[in-house]
Amino acid sequence: MNARTIIILASCVVGSGLDAGSLSVTVKDGKGALVSDAVVYVTSSTNSSRAAKQVVIDQRNKQFVPYVTAVQVGTSILFPNKDNIRHHVYSLSPAKRFELPLYEGIPAKPVLFDAEGFVTLGCNIHDWMIAYVAVLGTPYFQITAEDGRAVLKDLPAGQCTVEVWHPRLKGLPQNSAQHVDSVAGDAKELLFTLDLKPDFRVRRAPGLSNGGYP
Amino acid sequence: MKSRTSCSLTAIRTTWLILLLAMTLSAARADWRLEAETGALYESNLPNSDRGADEKDDFAWQSNLQAGNGFQLTRDLRLNLGADLGGQVWARYDAFNNVAPGGIAGLRYRFGLGPAAPWVLVEDHVAYAFFEEVDRSGLGNRFRVRSGFGIGDRIALEAAYTFDDFEAKDAFWDLGGHSGSIRLTFDVTSSLQVALGYSYRDGDVISYALPPRPDLVTLSSDREPVSSFGRPLYTAYRLRGSSNTISASLAYALGKYISVQASYEFRNTSSGPLEYGNHSVEAKVAFAY
Repeated sequence: MNARTIIILASCVVGSGLDAGSLSVTVKDGKGALVSDAVVYVTSSTNSSRAAKQVVIDQRNKQFVPYVTAVQVGTSILFPNKDNIRHHVYSLSPAKRFELPLYEGIPAKPVLFDAEGFVTLGCNIHDWMIAYVAVLGTPYFQITAEDGRAVLKDLPAGQCTVEVWHPRLKGLPQNSAQHVDSVAGDAKELLFTLDLKPDFRVRRAPGLSNGGYP
Repeated sequence: MKSRTSCSLTAIRTTWLILLLAMTLSAARADWRLEAETGALYESNLPNSDRGADEKDDFAWQSNLQAGNGFQLTRDLRLNLGADLGGQVWARYDAFNNVAPGGIAGLRYRFGLGPAAPWVLVEDHVAYAFFEEVDRSGLGNRFRVRSGFGIGDRIALEAAYTFDDFEAKDAFWDLGGHSGSIRLTFDVTSSLQVALGYSYRDGDVISYALPPRPDLVTLSSDREPVSSFGRPLYTAYRLRGSSNTISASLAYALGKYISVQASYEFRNTSSGPLEYGNHSVEAKVAFAY
């Protein structure tokens, strides 16, 4: 084995670590702060369909866990209540309107998310409980971690479009979309800077208006 | 007097028994909420006096502890039951020191899902206040109908009608009235909330002044010399008055369960030619779990 062969083999090992057809995306807000819970998704002309699996969103300590979930269209989501009190999960979002009225434990059926869009979940008993589901037409997505990064692997070769959605995003994800000619063969780094709205979630801490709760 | 006291005690016992029973029955499906708050109150005109020389200001340390349980009876109907313990300790005028154990029951109907949906709450709060000046002690009842709704994500509007009634050991200190109020709450940032309010009350008030006040004698239904403000003795005058109150409040969430809150209130009360004003400032820490 000569020196040239060793260099080629080493390149392959590094390449496989980052996976051919992978993207590393960093998301920041307008002030340069890293943004977690942003959904990064890739659409391409060669989108493949992956078998939709069942996803779980828990209710624990009067909170939804996780706060943001991304699924492909056609995925069912189960909403187990792991508190010892009753919850009442609902969504008024056009992409999926549903109610799971006053229940404890595990609901008999999961909820099918059968249309693309962004869904806001709430609990009718505990107004501060809120979570989001991004229902996507692509199987290629990841959610940014605390470091604002998401790595998407096993992407199809060819041109693709990368979009980012966040619960507090101003405007549409398409407005900040980035087009990539090809992801095959190397790991691309992308940076998204999002314009985010202030966070006006209902507080669990005592406030000036409690809407009659408790 | 004895029959009044007996009635009050019966009412207290009945209220507590109902609360205790409801809380015990609900233990298996308890959606408990514990709330506690403590802080300082400044009152610019404790004697409710219209004459500068008679006005006395004071600070109080006040706290309130409440344990409540919510029962979601149907999708839209919620029954809230709670027990509370409140108290005030005044820096100078000890007569007003008090501790008040009580109970509260409320039925809320919400017209739809989510925090922005309009709601109506009918609630009644009963508490027995033990004052340091014993004759002031008595049973207070506050019946209230509140209603509110959200305007977008950041604004909430609330209106209320309140009937308050206080039956003291000494009937001179009985107080009752009707009031209406509105309040607008605005989320300034993710942590900061401000509210502006207005209320109108028509009912009994007690104004204190150093005699002689022949003008108040003609206005008042009853009067009594009191040592609440030391010597020389003030005279307390029972009056029927109307009050207009404006208020501004803010709450800043420090974490998931705790916030700091501050409020300012100006109350202008008139009874015939008598007119006096009160400025109140409150700062407190509030906890809810």
